[in-house]
Amino acid sequence: VITLWHYLAVAAALFGIGLVGFLTRRNMIIMFLCAEMMFQGVAINFVAFARYHGNLQGQVFVLFIIAVAACEAGVALALFLMMYRRGKSLDATDWQSLREMGVPPTVDTVPLPVEPVTEDEHLAPAGVRPKHVPTEEEAARV
Amino acid sequence: MNLFALTPMQESVLAIVGFAFLLPQPKGRKVAVGIAALIASTAVFVAWLYSTYGRPMPDILGTVLFCLFSAGALGFGTVLVVQANPGRGAIAFAFVILSTCGLFLLLAAPFLMAATIIIYAGAIIVTFLFVLMLSHAGGPSAENNRSREPLLGALAGFAFTGLVLFSLYLSQGGANAAETPMTAQRLPAQVLTLEERNALLAAVEKLDAVEEYLGAGTTPPAQRRSVVEYFEGIRDQIGTVVGSNTLSRDGSISVRLEKLPMSPGEKVTPLRNDKQAQTVLRQAADIRKQNETAFDAVVNNVFDGKPSRETTKSELRHLRDDVVVLAGAGGLPARNVGNLGYLLYADHLLAVELAGTLLLVATIGAIAITQRKGAVA
Repeated sequence: VITLWHYLAVAAALFGIGLVGFLTRRNMIIMFLCAEMMFQGVAINFVAFARYHGNLQGQVFVLFIIAVAACEAGVALALFLMMYRRGKSLDATDWQSLREMGVPPTVDTVPLPVEPVTEDEHLAPAGVRPKHVPTEEEAARV
Repeated sequence: MNLFALTPMQESVLAIVGFAFLLPQPKGRKVAVGIAALIASTAVFVAWLYSTYGRPMPDILGTVLFCLFSAGALGFGTVLVVQANPGRGAIAFAFVILSTCGLFLLLAAPFLMAATIIIYAGAIIVTFLFVLMLSHAGGPSAENNRSREPLLGALAGFAFTGLVLFSLYLSQGGANAAETPMTAQRLPAQVLTLEERNALLAAVEKLDAVEEYLGAGTTPPAQRRSVVEYFEGIRDQIGTVVGSNTLSRDGSISVRLEKLPMSPGEKVTPLRNDKQAQTVLRQAADIRKQNETAFDAVVNNVFDGKPSRETTKSELRHLRDDVVVLAGAGGLPARNVGNLGYLLYADHLLAVELAGTLLLVATIGAIAITQRKGAVA
């Protein structure tokens, strides 16, 4: 039989995974999604307790969580867009100049792996090549 | 304290190792080791859950669905955290939401399930995919392929989880599991039968028509008898469910939940330990009292004009509201939306208004933040 405690344990694990993601990931959108996952863990707790006590108060709380999460999503999206416009990146570490006084800055020492750049494949030309001398602009574009 | 008190810690340590290896980094990412550690951690978690709280399971379908949805939520959550590609992460998040919604459905919250799917899997995911599309850059980048302190971050997260699991173990569910009968921890069964619910709802409908019988002014003597008989019918209808002093009988709720054992061999009635059953019994007792009070008020009002018409009506309204709440108990799925709405607008009206204001302020804030300087002519 699935008891209240099963739901609480799963919710705690979900919250923990979200917490790990929020603390370690650097992409702001992923951080946001991890925070939403922590919300889900809490929501499961609320609904499980509502079921356990046989009333709906917990579900009402979850409705308010959803409303607040929607507000948060709107404002966070706007912030991400603005920060992306300024820094051309979604990396939260780009804004580390806002960190606490006395904390050493994060410096990335290990270089990122370089993916070999492959040329886009061209189709083999078919038929007779038309006599056409490309203009300078065409040559630059192709 | 036995061996299983310690398993949350083993589970946490394994999960920490797994996440530390799996989180995206330019160097030292060992996917195979990480996945092996995570699988081991999941196995320990499941074994712990099973041995602490699980027992032979009569409700096979519910158990299977629970396992499926919780495994889905935790698995896709892990994918979201360790996946370097944010697009795939967003899709994994949508699956986390779907799995959570399955759990909501198992917990008798269909409205929340629908709302969560619409808002999260629909709106939020789509808007974030837009942002991801704007920021798409080919190849590895610092934001996607680096993590901030993978080991310490995983340590913090799973130390927290282990602590919560351990305190769960120390609470009623685990440490006293030997003494507490498992039935006491069961999620509630049906507390209100369909007939009882229909009887209550029929009584509510009759109570809604109260204006016809107790309009403005006093009741003419010729009609007094029929009016009182009408309310007597309502009182008896509610009385069959919650019990009544005038009929000197117990209500069908207390007969089923208190007096009868569940099955022939079972000595302790499991429902007596069930919080939901206790709540319903308490509500029924309140309604029983209120039912008599309201009826007395009606009789005295009709014949003596005292208490006043308004007082009588407010007593009846009070009774009606209580009966509505009781009719929605237990069968949460059936009357989930109605009762949720009732509760929102009866008990949490201020909070609803505040949530609406918050949404408005958030909209204004989002527009104000994204506005470019000088873009507006």
